[in-house]
Amino acid sequence: MRIVVCVKQVPAINEVSIDPETKRLKREGVESVMNPFDLYALEVALRMREQVGGSVIALSMGPKQAMRTVREAIAVGADSGVLLSDRAVAGSDTWATSYAIASTVRHLGNVDLVICGKQAVDGDTAQVGPGIAAHLRWPQVTYVSHVSAVSNTALTLARMHEEGSTVLEVTLPAVLTVVKGINQPRVPTLVSVLASRGADVPVLSAADIGADPERLGLNGSPTRVVKTGPPPPRAADTVILDGPARDAARRIVHELRMQSLV
Amino acid sequence: MSTQVLEKQFHVEILSPRQKAENLEADLERFATRYTQAIAGGDVVCIPDNPLGKLAFQGTELIRELGLPAAPGQVSVHINTFHTKQNLDEVLGEAVDLGIDNVLVISGDGSERLPKLRAQDLGMDAAGVTSVELVQYVHREYAGAFSVGVAFNPYEPQEHEWEKLQRKVDAGADFITTQPIIGRHECIGRLQALGLPVVVEAWMSKKLHLLSDCVGYKISEDTPYDPWENLIALRNAYPECSVYLALLGFKTQLPQLAQLKEDMG
Repeated sequence: MRIVVCVKQVPAINEVSIDPETKRLKREGVESVMNPFDLYALEVALRMREQVGGSVIALSMGPKQAMRTVREAIAVGADSGVLLSDRAVAGSDTWATSYAIASTVRHLGNVDLVICGKQAVDGDTAQVGPGIAAHLRWPQVTYVSHVSAVSNTALTLARMHEEGSTVLEVTLPAVLTVVKGINQPRVPTLVSVLASRGADVPVLSAADIGADPERLGLNGSPTRVVKTGPPPPRAADTVILDGPARDAARRIVHELRMQSLV
Repeated sequence: MSTQVLEKQFHVEILSPRQKAENLEADLERFATRYTQAIAGGDVVCIPDNPLGKLAFQGTELIRELGLPAAPGQVSVHINTFHTKQNLDEVLGEAVDLGIDNVLVISGDGSERLPKLRAQDLGMDAAGVTSVELVQYVHREYAGAFSVGVAFNPYEPQEHEWEKLQRKVDAGADFITTQPIIGRHECIGRLQALGLPVVVEAWMSKKLHLLSDCVGYKISEDTPYDPWENLIALRNAYPECSVYLALLGFKTQLPQLAQLKEDMG
């Protein structure tokens, strides 16, 4: 099975804040990491490869610095990587981004499966995975929480939703987005990290993947981020339950039940 | 069970490079240099396991890949409860292969990338995996391969800490390493009374905010503290104990340490 895993370089979420003036994420001086959800997607792909054979390709779109994330994916276990980096894709919204990634998947050829994290932690849209499926005209399964059967032609998966989960089968080729907790991502070793540094990772341009320039970047983006802002501060309310511990425990359980929290 | 490690007076902590290192090659070179210096000085190299929950390379893989010496009695690797079972066994198995015969078992710090071991992973019927279960596991699966140390924190609520220590001892702890001790501490005598070797930790950095993180209570940065004076005080107070040197300065303090050992004969 030939699997593409989409990996995105994002700011470390514990270091991110929003500029009060511009209302944009302050990225300067913030450590860049692989989108945490993508680690789960990568682990799903690696386990599938271990089951049925094949190869895993890590694909990222972004500036040259995103090469670090591609190499990290190779260190974790991907067989190869590719970076789509071109000024033409700068400013792409989720639709243009998914078009660019879908075009890269077509360019790579013979891909059976694309796996993404359920969303990126910097945009939180959860739209790129489904967008890739739409552009490729492939079936998609989002919020995958369990993989129960893998073959070279179909997968049996559980899909998480508000009421629980649904088990379904999807034929390949297909696109998946996976949730946190579907597995425990493996940790790279020193050997694999050192090997990943010497891996030959092609950097592709929009022309290389045969993408229509009008469908990339701002030109190809039907949406614009007009404004972002921090969430309203949570109201802090401290209640001190004094008295014997047993009574205090009983009262806190009562309070939580009254608020339907337990 | 080997006690060679515990016969050495100084246990030198060497932090392994982080997985996110900006300049990994330089960090690896620094690690190898420090490791070699400590071994050449006749000290024990101690390599922590993902301290503060931040992903770092395992000591065993560093020793193997960098081709560093690791005869019995020269190296102690730390292991904590934040591993997959497979990864834990890789580390311990590799330690055996390398000739490392000393491990320090701690509960450790977790993170998103570091999964907590589960009791069923270790084939145990327990509510969770703490250092107690990990000591049991090492003795069960690697019988006779390691001298197994455990940690004691005199800054935690004492009733609980002593009870926990007793469980670690009952599980088969072979020696005890303390958290950093400043000058003297009444716990040392009580620890020695348990009949196990005690390794006293000396905080060798002037960065007191890190010491605060380590001991779990706030120590003001303007508190007068001379790491070297503290080391001397510990040596004088507890000459029968090995000393664990946390965050030793290799440029300035390592030569001082060599001189101290010479003076001590």
